[in-house]
Amino acid sequence: MTLAVGDRIPEWEMASVSSDRMRTMAALLRDPNPLHWDRDAVDALPLGLGKRTINQGPLGLSYLINMLQAWGGPECLRRIMMRFPQVVLDGERVVARGEISALREEHGIQLADCSVRLEHDDRGVLLEGTATIIVPEHVILVG
Amino acid sequence: MGSNPIPAESEITSLAGHRFPGGFYSVAHWENFLLTECTGAALLPDGLVHPVALFHIPIAGAGTSIADMFALGQAESDLSIVIESYDWETYLSIREETRYAVSGSITSAKRCRNDQGNVYDRIQFCFELRTPDDSLAARVTITWHYTRNML
Repeated sequence: MTLAVGDRIPEWEMASVSSDRMRTMAALLRDPNPLHWDRDAVDALPLGLGKRTINQGPLGLSYLINMLQAWGGPECLRRIMMRFPQVVLDGERVVARGEISALREEHGIQLADCSVRLEHDDRGVLLEGTATIIVPEHVILVG
Repeated sequence: MGSNPIPAESEITSLAGHRFPGGFYSVAHWENFLLTECTGAALLPDGLVHPVALFHIPIAGAGTSIADMFALGQAESDLSIVIESYDWETYLSIREETRYAVSGSITSAKRCRNDQGNVYDRIQFCFELRTPDDSLAARVTITWHYTRNML
């Protein structure tokens, strides 16, 4: 297997963002924000989102991690930095996508810097950021 | 949209340098199982904790809570917080039933205005997780906007 700058990471799909999972997550995180479990609270905001619930930021981020780990292995993640230009809503289909932006070596470890994002078919990019993963030893870096 | 009093700028900027009590955190198997299920992924092998835990381990381990962090910045409501960014650096994989020492502080707190001229306060928190042998396992930076009369 070879890797080069510009290579695409195999995408990872969340077919339908679940409000039940948001509730479980809110309990685990002890997150008091009703945006994650109270549709009426979201509806009352001046954002025009309707009776929906808003996914926790870390959950949206986790979809990007799932993409990276499915590709690079369960211990590949070195760093991920995400911004949140749009919210992720319950019931939405979202897809994690990314590309390699740089290949480098640090303390004898091969690293791949990646541009990553979470996309919705109609609303475009919901989360965007960068990640660095450890490249498996059997992979040959090109260029 | 309400008309809530906005904290004095000095009350916000003086938060920089605030240190949380610190403490320890171990992720139980059940907790990792439920967290991982929420992400839509399969449980990782060999007791590896899904990195999504890097949100709540630092907060709880440092002896604070999301609610406390909202209160520190005088959030006008639980609904008024907007995420700017999360930056998670991992140096060692996080594993179930390992006791991590956690420290945390507020590294930046400042008053800002958005493009529409609305005031918000940008507060940045930084946490570190260390293994029982004091190796740095992860560093987590959370940056939130405390909106004022915007939401």
